[in-house]
Amino acid sequence: MEAILTRHLDQDNPQNLAAYQAIGGYRSLSAAFDLKPEKIIETVEAANLRGRGGAGFSCGMKWRLRGADAPSPRYLVCNLDESEPGTFKDRYLLYGAPHAIIEAVIVSAFALQAERAFIFVRGEYAKGGHRLIQAIREAETAGLLGRNLGGSGFDLHIEVHLSGGRYICGEETAQINAIEGKRPNPRPKIPRPSTHGLWGQPTTTNNVETLVNVPHILINGAEWFRRLGINGGCGTKLFCVSGKVKHPGVFELPCGTPARELIFKHAGGLDNDERTLLGFLPGGASTAFLLPQHLDVPMDFDPVAEAGSRLGTGSLIILDDTTCPIETVLNLTRFFARESCGFCTPCRDGLPYLAQILTAIATGNGSADDLTLLDEFCSTIATQSFCAFAPGAVMPLVSSLKNYYEHYEQHVITQRCPFDASGKEAV
Amino acid sequence: MTDIDTLQKDLANLPPDHPDRRAAAVPAMLSLQSETGYLDDAAIEKIAEVTGLSSTEIEELATFYSLIYRRPTGRHIVQICDSVCCSMRGADQLLTAAEHYLGVSLGNLASENAPTVLPSICLGLCDKAPAALVDGEAAGPLSRTLLEALLKRLQTEE
Repeated sequence: MEAILTRHLDQDNPQNLAAYQAIGGYRSLSAAFDLKPEKIIETVEAANLRGRGGAGFSCGMKWRLRGADAPSPRYLVCNLDESEPGTFKDRYLLYGAPHAIIEAVIVSAFALQAERAFIFVRGEYAKGGHRLIQAIREAETAGLLGRNLGGSGFDLHIEVHLSGGRYICGEETAQINAIEGKRPNPRPKIPRPSTHGLWGQPTTTNNVETLVNVPHILINGAEWFRRLGINGGCGTKLFCVSGKVKHPGVFELPCGTPARELIFKHAGGLDNDERTLLGFLPGGASTAFLLPQHLDVPMDFDPVAEAGSRLGTGSLIILDDTTCPIETVLNLTRFFARESCGFCTPCRDGLPYLAQILTAIATGNGSADDLTLLDEFCSTIATQSFCAFAPGAVMPLVSSLKNYYEHYEQHVITQRCPFDASGKEAV
Repeated sequence: MTDIDTLQKDLANLPPDHPDRRAAAVPAMLSLQSETGYLDDAAIEKIAEVTGLSSTEIEELATFYSLIYRRPTGRHIVQICDSVCCSMRGADQLLTAAEHYLGVSLGNLASENAPTVLPSICLGLCDKAPAALVDGEAAGPLSRTLLEALLKRLQTEE
């Protein structure tokens, strides 16, 4: 398969403007400016480009629903706050091809007729953020940004917002608060950011990987994009594979590539060939576990959902049979407990409580009642909290109670972790 | 002229309730911190003055963000990832080794020249697990030996 998004990535020495243009960069601008914004949106919707940041919502539909008559000023936010454990694809894009991000933001902002765009870069990627700022200056100097960019009559200013950290800033409305300089709590679901986003104005947020597909769709067409996928998927996807595999990395493959191919072909299989696969998280930390029986599930939004999990960010975290699933879930739960924004009580107080119970079980101090408690608390926390953070946070835990119940029982009955001897290697 | 002075100049002509003032709070904090290593109370006051927000509001933001420091930091900052993929590959052992090597708990300064070592959420370096950021640059996969050599180098270099 021909790589689309990663073909020209260079982590050490990304292209400057001239080099990027020499390989066909910024070619989509003239393609976009020849079309009416509505036509671009129609094409993106026909391509069935689904959000790569985790939710998988149709990008074209999101753009169409904002409405062409949305009052000005209109904003576009490119979400580069990648913080989902196990996810590192957007880092490749940021460090490897800053101009590809700028090109994508320009044509997307044109489709939305947004005059100001923000690229929200996580603080841990500051070095990449500074490279991106340099690239923006280069594009400005060349007349590719600013007033009447490229002679199109369209004005666009791009600003990089470097974040101060915290996972919650990746949530759409928390990110809007962060850009405005407010405490980054998520906002109520209504009114929607599409009508009342940044400073109360129409705002569209898309993940960076979603956006970098748009120039290619404009140049090659919706049908071409759909055909890039396999097993019903559309386009390519930047899959991350990490955990207990030989060659963790980012792999650009057709959307719909089976998990087995990702893990055993591209990531080189398990660390140690004598071990067996215990299971995997298919889409980052806030997704449900899948089991070896799911290895042939196409890694695409609908098939993974049908298998009981979420494609999320398309980041597979692999557990082998020496990895304690309870300790893994404890690590994830501690992460979410620490990263809760603290705004609502079920999330702020509930997640640390779950971590406490899991710690007891993992260290051989748990009881059978704890297992019932975990189950009950998860459903309370998930349903009573304010935003999507807590429901995502308990997803791996809830699925582990279903898929790895015998491991929980073993911890409780023997009062020790059965993986203690085999799972820990000295570093 | 430092970044914070430029920012102050840019904001000076805006009306008191202009949204760009509030939006400048985090960039101002990061900018000042890049010069001083951390934000002391005077820095909080300074940012309040530049943005026109109250010092309480600035404090609220400063303590929310994990990359804004309210305590002195070393000349170098090492953030060791403790999230799931790095944890599977021994991150907890690295964190213990760092504490042991420096003789202080995480976040504390052993001496004037010592680096600050902090645990971090997933750094997006799962392909280099167990990984760390050293003054913003990726490092990994780390072993106990490599980490100790790194800390030694940071501690002794001029």
